[in-house]
Amino acid sequence: MPKYYDFETRDLFRKYTDAEQFEKIREYGTVTEMWQNCIFGYADRVAVIDGDETVTFARLEEDAARMRALFSDIPKDKKIGILAPNSYGFVKAFIAAVTSGHAAVALPPHLDAPTVFGCSMITETGAIVYDGSLADRLAVVRERRPDVALIKTDDAADEAADAVSASPDDPCAVVFTGGTTGKSKGAVLSNDAVMQGTVNGCYGYPDVFGQRYLLILPLTHVFGLIRNLMTSLYTGSTLFICRNNKDMFRDVAVFRPTIMVMVPALAEMALNLSRKFGKNMLGDDLKTIICGAAPVSPFLIGEYDKIGVKLLAGYGLTESANLVSGNPESVSKPESVGIPFPHQSIRVNDDGELLLKGRNMMLGYVGGAGEDAYEDGWFRTGDLCRIDEDGYLYITGRTKEIIVLPSGENVSPAEVEARFNAAPFIQDSQVFEDENELGGRILALEVVPRLSELSGVAPEERGAFIVAELEKINETLPPFSRVSRITVRETDFERTPAMKIVRYKKFS
Amino acid sequence: MKREEIIEKLRGILASAGDGTAPVSVTEESNLMTDVGLSSVSMLYMVIAIEEEFGIRFDDVGVGDFATLGDVVTYIGNKLG
Repeated sequence: MPKYYDFETRDLFRKYTDAEQFEKIREYGTVTEMWQNCIFGYADRVAVIDGDETVTFARLEEDAARMRALFSDIPKDKKIGILAPNSYGFVKAFIAAVTSGHAAVALPPHLDAPTVFGCSMITETGAIVYDGSLADRLAVVRERRPDVALIKTDDAADEAADAVSASPDDPCAVVFTGGTTGKSKGAVLSNDAVMQGTVNGCYGYPDVFGQRYLLILPLTHVFGLIRNLMTSLYTGSTLFICRNNKDMFRDVAVFRPTIMVMVPALAEMALNLSRKFGKNMLGDDLKTIICGAAPVSPFLIGEYDKIGVKLLAGYGLTESANLVSGNPESVSKPESVGIPFPHQSIRVNDDGELLLKGRNMMLGYVGGAGEDAYEDGWFRTGDLCRIDEDGYLYITGRTKEIIVLPSGENVSPAEVEARFNAAPFIQDSQVFEDENELGGRILALEVVPRLSELSGVAPEERGAFIVAELEKINETLPPFSRVSRITVRETDFERTPAMKIVRYKKFS
Repeated sequence: MKREEIIEKLRGILASAGDGTAPVSVTEESNLMTDVGLSSVSMLYMVIAIEEEFGIRFDDVGVGDFATLGDVVTYIGNKLG
């Protein structure tokens, strides 16, 4: 029988945040409602810094109001596409679209012209706001859909148009999923969902309001759009837009962020650069790193804890408007993705699959794709989980990645990998099914070592040392899930654009 | 700065990338993708570390702009004048 977890968690987060600030964490039904409170409360504060542009909340509203006027002839059931790199133009277009009662479609800037056309067709866009540098991506739309209004990010009407409030159930944003396990799908998020995702970003750390956020994640990804941009606006914080990841540390030196949202690979890179150059490359003002989109290693949490930075892991999906859970106890429970945020209902099926319901869940996919995405009205995440006695959630694998051994036993590679990854000298690992010399099926392990943790071992002895240590860990695993071959890689694994490991698939 | 000095510093950078990249054996002929095995993250690491180490600024570069380590050495050499 499935297990259900449906409890109010807001109070569990209370002790981690400054008391006065915690009381300011309020819920809104629509982005327009939230935005009006921002303009009222933070008018003269700086909302966005992008290159030479420093924009206050009041000025962002003035600019958005003149863009809203350009949308006045577009029917409310038509969406507004946004095709722009991370920039002030993107932020302005997003606020203008959603506060004019339209839903915004975040079009990834790397899409080619036929794909932009396809996406705008299935999402029924009435207009596309685009950055001048991406004009060529609109070639097919321009030719085949003359009825779609094409607006540049720096276009503005002479007159301003007032903000319009949608209803909480109305679509607010369409965000495309990463598509690592198949075709990219557009998740339609309601105003309610976007706002829940935005508020979820406020729980679990001491200083929430009036922060300095450095944006390095794409705004077309929920982690960038909701956890980074929306929570930054909601909390009256300043968002500094890093235009090129390679300039990230120069931007850090100028802007001195207090909080950053990033993927684990970048957090690890920053750590290695800090070691190499003997200084904290992320700056001394940084207090919090919100880390997600891939498993976070306990090593990383521990290393950042040593330099006074709280690295908080969370779990979220595009379909859940970003965060489902966050871990305020990251140091004492480093393998957990935390406790569910308020209004999140959880169901765990007999096989361990995690299913979700709640205010933050998407209305559905564009075009109704993915009917098997639901079971009894619950969204199926495809992730396997367990929940400990304190209500903390652990992701233990993917249902689709389960290896069914010839013996019929099921092995979750992620669960086995987590055991090996717990060794400080292992940076990443992959467990997969392979063949031995006789053609029999075996479980194999490949690891990428973390050389900084191996300085005490002579280079020529490292391979043997690592294998010997991993053998000890292997012995502690249940017999059927032990690996029969261990290979120490000299190079990193092949990775997807989102920096996730490309998994080997010998048998399907 | 001599090419050999540049490549020695690059070996130090690759060693500190911490992702298992084997720096000792790399030469000017080593292919960045197939021999050195740079991923998108370690490529970013290398670019940032080179800028910091040599005090230069890369123009807008991507992984595909350099085939071998020798190409990177030449680029740094030109930047240093």
